[in-house]
Amino acid sequence: MNKKNNIPFKTPEGYFNSFEERLMDKLSQPESSFPEESAFKVPDNYFESFNERLNNKLENESKVIPLFPIKKIIAVAASIAAIALIALGYDWNSEQELSFSDLANTDIEAYFENNDFELSPYEIAEVLPVTNTEFSDFLNAPIESDNLLDYLNENVSDFDELNFYDNE
Amino acid sequence: MIEEETLVLDLKTKSKQAQAFEVLVNTYKERLYWQIRSIVLNHDDADDVLQNTFIKVYKNIDGFKGDSKLFSWMYRIATNEALNFIKQRAKIQGVSDTNYQDRLVENLEADVYFEGDEIQLQLQKAIATLPEKQKLVFNMKYFQELKYEEISEILNTSVGGLKASYHLAVKKLEQYLKED
Repeated sequence: MNKKNNIPFKTPEGYFNSFEERLMDKLSQPESSFPEESAFKVPDNYFESFNERLNNKLENESKVIPLFPIKKIIAVAASIAAIALIALGYDWNSEQELSFSDLANTDIEAYFENNDFELSPYEIAEVLPVTNTEFSDFLNAPIESDNLLDYLNENVSDFDELNFYDNE
Repeated sequence: MIEEETLVLDLKTKSKQAQAFEVLVNTYKERLYWQIRSIVLNHDDADDVLQNTFIKVYKNIDGFKGDSKLFSWMYRIATNEALNFIKQRAKIQGVSDTNYQDRLVENLEADVYFEGDEIQLQLQKAIATLPEKQKLVFNMKYFQELKYEEISEILNTSVGGLKASYHLAVKKLEQYLKED
């Protein structure tokens, strides 16, 4: 930064370059109020005897050879069915590559519903544009005006609150 | 300690497989156990998942391409096995994953293999409230003392992202413990 009056202070070499990293390190330091041990214990000689038990399990697994490997048959049948389906459904003449716009909205919604993104409402709000957002953006079905009037009739006690005086 | 590349090569060679597998199990069983235990909490479940993890490793060693370290590859398998175990158990009991994990923490008080005092129990309850990723990062960093670089390779997340996750987790835990 060019300044008219030079500041007589200096920083160590590379100070600002490594600042973020050091800050993150400091932020992620464990708190002293947490206990250091997790308190989980294992039975006596658990690890010493683990290999033997694992070997027994492995031997048992390899001994069981099914007469009809049904999983393999299902897998092969499923692969054939999948290939046939893809072949039938594929548009062989199309050379266009798939893009984001080819995704159906329902697919995108299903993806968001079925996958946990671990985002809090605040984090989501940070990326959502607030301007030009309508109530209808959040509703699955539009509100019919009759329903709206019914709701107001039933729930608003002081009807005068709703009067707007355009002629004032 | 035997070199990782040699170990992988031996695991893929029929004549040396059994001996190499024993070395592999001896080298990693404790570390993988604690990773699994931090997720499933109960010792018997952790033992089941650990055995299944090694069986999976044994059966899939030919598929190990060496793109990542053997250690991170096995850690990933162990983590996925443990998380799937939780999901399956929750499904069998007809509850959500979160509810199932709440039950696990509640059961800790009666667990003979949990010798925690009140603070340790509270910390486990607090950890159970964290989102899955933050829970993993906190356990791996705080209790297992893994390096960020190692966690980064296991969870396939940047070191910066992990530090942020860890920081968030610590703040949430502090908040929980203060309120409680």
